[in-house]
Amino acid sequence: MTVLAPVLRSEWAKIRSVRSLLVALSAAFVATVGVTVLVHATVGRSEADNADFEPVHSSYFGLNFGHIAAVCFGVMAVAGEYTGGGIRLSLAAVPRRGAFWAGKLLVLGAVALPVGLATGFGCFLGAQALLGEYGVGLGTPGALQSAVGCGVYLALLTVFSAGVAAVVRSQVGALSVLTPVVFLISPVFAGVSGIGDVVAFLPDRAGQQILHPVPEGPLGAWSGMGVMALWTALAAAAGWWSLSRRDA
Amino acid sequence: MTSIDIRELTKAYGPVRALDRLTVTVRPGRVTGFLGPNGAGKSTTLRVVLGLDRPTSGAALVDGRPYASFAEPLRHVGAVLDAAAAHPARTARDHLLTLALSNRIPVRRVEEVLEETGLAAAARRRVRTFSLGMRQRLGLAAALLGDPPVLMLDEPTNGLDPEGIVHLRRLTRRLADEGRTVLISSHLMTEMAQTADHLVVLGRGRLLADAPLKDFIGKHASLEDAYFSLTDSSAEFTHQEGTSS
Repeated sequence: MTVLAPVLRSEWAKIRSVRSLLVALSAAFVATVGVTVLVHATVGRSEADNADFEPVHSSYFGLNFGHIAAVCFGVMAVAGEYTGGGIRLSLAAVPRRGAFWAGKLLVLGAVALPVGLATGFGCFLGAQALLGEYGVGLGTPGALQSAVGCGVYLALLTVFSAGVAAVVRSQVGALSVLTPVVFLISPVFAGVSGIGDVVAFLPDRAGQQILHPVPEGPLGAWSGMGVMALWTALAAAAGWWSLSRRDA
Repeated sequence: MTSIDIRELTKAYGPVRALDRLTVTVRPGRVTGFLGPNGAGKSTTLRVVLGLDRPTSGAALVDGRPYASFAEPLRHVGAVLDAAAAHPARTARDHLLTLALSNRIPVRRVEEVLEETGLAAAARRRVRTFSLGMRQRLGLAAALLGDPPVLMLDEPTNGLDPEGIVHLRRLTRRLADEGRTVLISSHLMTEMAQTADHLVVLGRGRLLADAPLKDFIGKHASLEDAYFSLTDSSAEFTHQEGTSS
């Protein structure tokens, strides 16, 4: 850790000194909680009358919009190094690329996790408060797990996106790979029989299983999160490979 | 003292050899001018020394060690590769701060190098608002941050105003007089003639000359004449001869 400490300090300074990164990070919280609150304040109680209404999972409706901000945060933090050739100076300062990459991912995850947890608890508590008599408490089976899981999900999604960005080395490139996966393929094909079981193993679908008190499909709450963690490890390894093998 | 040792260095990009078994030692206590036509391999050499590009074969050592083996390399080598190498949304001060933190360099050095390069007044401005000359100054500030015994500057006069050029000339002279190793690549012959004590000239990735400035100019009228008589045969793009003669 003593070897990594200067890298961690430097990487944290990089994040807090770029306004767009702070905006993206805040947007993950604001958009997710905001949409959830807005929906529950307006149609929440009328929806709650439906027989198949499930108050826990319903809390995270805003994540469908907010998680793209976590993707942007991860992508921008890495791709920003490649705009203007800053990566050369960064690697001249920290030539051990493994330490550089580990430090960057640790800081990104460590910054995204508390924001993710705040988002998770904000969504759940906000939604339940607005549901009034239909609302449930954190003691409900799966409730606490879902709020914590939302935080872990956003942290892993950030690191996953950072890994993809290190391979693609461009903001536009990385977002054009990640946005369709998160916004189109997963939601659209999730309901299609046959493909649905495969789509369930995509990083976002798998990680979001934890938001259901009773998971749907082939993956459970934590096994789903495990699959997402594997995707994240894969992306981090691919990013490391790209960073260590290619000339800067 | 600290030298840069380049030994049998070859860097191939596919069939193209950017560096072809280059061997040269850049010694301390003098300003070494690094000359050569576009594509001669100057920037590639600097990138390999900094561990940014992997050599196909051979080695580049600083103080007898590969650059990547230094735990805090900014305290050993300061380099300006491209003037604009900073995140455009970061302020000059924050840019230097991220570098200082990564190498355990005291934060007060940030203010010192901003002062030294004439950027103190612009310290809180975002890099995207900087002119090319200001970016050069910022690059130089980053290179000086760790008070390193070795400095490598790639085209540092690019975009500098006359005042900046004179300042840089005095600074590099002072750094060399303090016993540091100073390597400056440039295309500006008149500037080199005023700045350098020693010259290393590359052509097509090979060493063409490694000599004191005076010896290099020799019987030629100027550094420019001496340079062209050496490099004409190795230029990447040769111009068409006129018909006047």
